[in-house]
Amino acid sequence: MVENESLNNAVTYVDEIPEHLSLHVPAQGSLRLALAAFKPLKDTTITIEVEEGGTFEGAFADFSRSHYHFILNVYLHGQAAKCDWHSAAIAAEDDQKLFETSLYHEKENSLGLMSNYGICENQSKLTFSGISEIKKGAKKTHTRQVAKIIVFDPQSDGQASPILKIGENDVEASHAAVVGRLSEEHLFYLESRGVDEAMAKRLITLGYLKPIEAYFSDPKTVEQIGSAIEGGI
Amino acid sequence: MSKLSIKDLHVAVKGKEILRGVDLDVSEGETLALLGPNGHGKSTLLAAIMGNPAYQVTSGSIFLDNQDVLALSPDKRSLAGIFLAMQYPSEIPGLNSADFLKAAMNAHSAKPLSLFQFYNALQSAYGAMGIPFEMSKRNLNEGFSGGEKKRNEMLQMRLLQPKIALLDEIDSGLDVDAMGVVAKAIEQEQARGAGFLVVSHYARLYNMIKPTRAAVLINGRIAVNGGVDLIEKIDTQGYEWIHRELGIEVEKITDEAMNTVSIGACATRVAVNHGGK
Repeated sequence: MVENESLNNAVTYVDEIPEHLSLHVPAQGSLRLALAAFKPLKDTTITIEVEEGGTFEGAFADFSRSHYHFILNVYLHGQAAKCDWHSAAIAAEDDQKLFETSLYHEKENSLGLMSNYGICENQSKLTFSGISEIKKGAKKTHTRQVAKIIVFDPQSDGQASPILKIGENDVEASHAAVVGRLSEEHLFYLESRGVDEAMAKRLITLGYLKPIEAYFSDPKTVEQIGSAIEGGI
Repeated sequence: MSKLSIKDLHVAVKGKEILRGVDLDVSEGETLALLGPNGHGKSTLLAAIMGNPAYQVTSGSIFLDNQDVLALSPDKRSLAGIFLAMQYPSEIPGLNSADFLKAAMNAHSAKPLSLFQFYNALQSAYGAMGIPFEMSKRNLNEGFSGGEKKRNEMLQMRLLQPKIALLDEIDSGLDVDAMGVVAKAIEQEQARGAGFLVVSHYARLYNMIKPTRAAVLINGRIAVNGGVDLIEKIDTQGYEWIHRELGIEVEKITDEAMNTVSIGACATRVAVNHGGK
């Protein structure tokens, strides 16, 4: 359990991710949370509470071999509170990974983005689920949930089921879920420019995972993420 | 001078025959305007030449000089000198435009380009196409407007310098200024000696790029081969005269319901099949 009350915080965990984490973003404050995992993980539950005008920016690069359940609940308590969450995960071998990322808009003008990207190989299972909820009174709220998984092998199982619950009018809410093999159309587009099939697959897969690097400032971690991505595809 | 020769080409999409014996040639140095009513197979022909796996060639041949194009994968067709500017270029999430262009240019070059060569080429191409250089850091076509996507296609043509370029409605969705930029890019490739097979519904683009001849694709076959006067005739009179003068019944194509596949809870454009256009 970690409590922190200073205005602007940045918290990074590489591998040593606590099983329970509860963080508070005060009014007008900000929090950057960056998680990266390369070794097997224990289940994690994270709660984030954001007050008026506060900003939470979080990222999770999960390249562990794990049976793993990740729960993230972000409460945008205050007006104009913001959340930007981005994860990139590789599930391989016999991994079983479940990511439940939920976001609750409680007041007006709050902004929420949750994007989860993953690739699923071998006999692994990868699930992205979670709720984006706009509560009564949270007018002029924008929320978006994105969950995209590329499935590589016939035995691998990818599931993406983000849920939107909307209890107020005058809001913007959207979600996108795609689970599937690499798009033939995308592959053809790249190949038609002279890029061979193997390279085209690589480029598209990198496109899913590589953007997560931008959330990490330590060059060593970025390098570690880079080589985990290279090794994973 | 290279020549693309198409003989008795039959192509099916999802089991339905769209092209029923197309014969057509395009050589370097010439620009062929390909006309025809919607749904009669113009885009299908271009996609089949490039090797789109959704289009099955059931019989016939395509040769680039003495190279059997149908035996090549799409990437090898590109390396052989064929380029297709697509009507609906794919948006590739997360793939940085510059990274993609580098991979494509390296594939076309005997040895990997130096960073200096690459950025020079890139900067000049972006400049010529009137695209801000910052766009090279954006994801490939993602969130680009219709006009930006079309310019981006022309930018790729300029960087890859094909022998034969196939342009599928490169002018649709362009404003007058963008049309000028695109036409200029085409003119420069024409001056270099490239050959063009151009599909457009508008005489405006053809007036700018001055085709050397024209062909009309009807009912999955080339019904008329002729001079550029065909363009004006079709622009002013449509396709009625084909029936009157040539006795060819122009089949009515009904748009069949497009297959929209949604996977998971809902779908983005990524999962939407554009149908067999």
